[in-house]
Amino acid sequence: MASVELNDIRKAYGAVDVIHGISLHIEDGEFVALVGPSGCGKSTLLRMIAGLEEITDGEIAIGGNVVNAMTPRERNIAMVFQSYALYPHMTVAENMGFNLKLAGVAKPQIEARVSEAARMLDLATLLDRKPAQLSGGQRQRVAMGRAIVRNPAVFLFDEPLSNLDAKLRVQMRSEIKTLHQKVRTTSIYVTHDQIEAMTLADRIVVLNHGKVEQQGTPLELYRKPANLFVAAFIGSPAMNMLDGTVDGVNGEPAARLEDGTAIRLAPDRKVKAGQAVTVGLRPEHLIPGIAAGTPLAGRTMLVEPTGAQTHVVFDLAGQQVTAIVDGEYPARYGAVFEASIASDQVHVFDRGSGVAL
Amino acid sequence: MTDMSSSVRMRTSTRIYLYVSLSLIAAIVLVPLLTTALGGFKTLGDLRTNPFGLPTEWQWTNYTDILFGERYWLQIGNSLIIAALTVLLTLIVSSMAAFAFAHVRFFGSSFLLNYFLLGLMFPAATAILPLFIRIRDLGLLNTYWGVVLPQVAFGLGMSILLFRNYFRNLPEELFQAAFVDGCGYMRFFWHISLPLSRPIVATVSIISFVGSWNSYILPLIMLNSESKYPWPLGIMVYRGEYGTDWQLVLAFITLTILPTIIVFFVAQRHIIAGLTAGAVKS
Repeated sequence: MASVELNDIRKAYGAVDVIHGISLHIEDGEFVALVGPSGCGKSTLLRMIAGLEEITDGEIAIGGNVVNAMTPRERNIAMVFQSYALYPHMTVAENMGFNLKLAGVAKPQIEARVSEAARMLDLATLLDRKPAQLSGGQRQRVAMGRAIVRNPAVFLFDEPLSNLDAKLRVQMRSEIKTLHQKVRTTSIYVTHDQIEAMTLADRIVVLNHGKVEQQGTPLELYRKPANLFVAAFIGSPAMNMLDGTVDGVNGEPAARLEDGTAIRLAPDRKVKAGQAVTVGLRPEHLIPGIAAGTPLAGRTMLVEPTGAQTHVVFDLAGQQVTAIVDGEYPARYGAVFEASIASDQVHVFDRGSGVAL
Repeated sequence: MTDMSSSVRMRTSTRIYLYVSLSLIAAIVLVPLLTTALGGFKTLGDLRTNPFGLPTEWQWTNYTDILFGERYWLQIGNSLIIAALTVLLTLIVSSMAAFAFAHVRFFGSSFLLNYFLLGLMFPAATAILPLFIRIRDLGLLNTYWGVVLPQVAFGLGMSILLFRNYFRNLPEELFQAAFVDGCGYMRFFWHISLPLSRPIVATVSIISFVGSWNSYILPLIMLNSESKYPWPLGIMVYRGEYGTDWQLVLAFITLTILPTIIVFFVAQRHIIAGLTAGAVKS
């Protein structure tokens, strides 16, 4: 196990800069998720840590040693790929033991380590099969087994669950989490799925256009998004964003929407009267009915039952706002939906810069 | 008439059209083969008066004399040695060159590839005189290598192209996974690329084997000792000053094309797989 240190990492393809000076410190044993939309540079960053992509500038250190000039093997990392990348002509046991064989490890030792990893991942009965004879979930477990047997300093995961169906993805997510809790190997996990990042990671790094937008624990990012991008990216369904102007209601700050609705803000928000802002309301913070906080009302435009919960989309100041209500709530298309939100749960961002206020 | 019955009728008519077309094409291929095989069972007179029909009297001795003679086996042996060396050398050189063209970025790689591919446009016969001089200067006249090396050189364009396209279609992540596992280029080539390339290895082997097996002009120019002759030169034995024993020529040809037909039937699945590799996303 080892810590990972990225120091002002840059990557350019010709004249096009894709990573703009990223610095990160990942603790020994920590599970860090790199998230962001397609093209944000998260996979490129991971591949640079792996040694599969050259670094244009900056320094990468694993376990305190600078690894810029080292091959992937010398960096002592293991990587799990989106497409599993299993060798089709080898059996499960041969796939898992291939890296040990290349390293010149003795055959009995390879067999022992493969058996141990197979037992851990419930693959013991599949060791003689070829990858084509396995299901998607089993293949992904073999890919993880291949990573485990070599006992690497760092695990790198490149969207490992993207090729699986929704049910299997949830199951594999738990298995990855359990595995990390068992082996406590430093892990860097790339995904575009914020639910995966939230459930798995100790810390999330949100990337956009090759820059770090924010990093922190999942709940920090959820509760205190640093800007509009992070606020919109973290949370499902996404945060509702409404344009308004700062005003005062009974001496307390508020954001007034286009139709005159005033949404009260917490007193500690650093806003100025007349400031153009974007107000962020999480769907799960909109409580149906009139209660304490800002009352909001609009015509119901869409009702999406998901079982335990129902998503109600209603019209507010000409924009669609989503609320999450209990599955038993009698939502009806066309009816007026009333909800309220506490002022300390209202997020507010400067409309020009997008920075949280 | 319903849509379903008209579609069934359409399918039946399409099938009839397909069967007729395929039968015609098969006939075009099979008639010369059968004429050759049957001609080998005739007397010379029978062959002249009845070139396409069944033999009036079956002359089994035409075949048995060849089969029990020394010359046939010597020439088949020579052809096999030349073909085996050609296939082996073509596979080694073209697979390694194609691997470099597929995976290694280096200055002038596309120029070099195009240079190799130019070889596709020139049959060996067009360069026979300079080739003869070069082989003579290398001291390889009247040796197997004098035939093998030019055959390999002229087959490289096609073989490199086939191998390169196949290697490029192997998933990039497989290469990266192997790199993380500790492979360098050579280990990846040996442990991953080659074992996954059996269809293209079979295709290249068969193409170069058949090419070498049927080669006439190169052995004719490069070999002058009868003990080194491959089978296509053996036919010359049946050509006399005043006439040719065509029935023996046909029997000889039939016996020599049999191995290639057997090889082709055994490996045809691989040839088709190799030639169409990467045509569609799997």
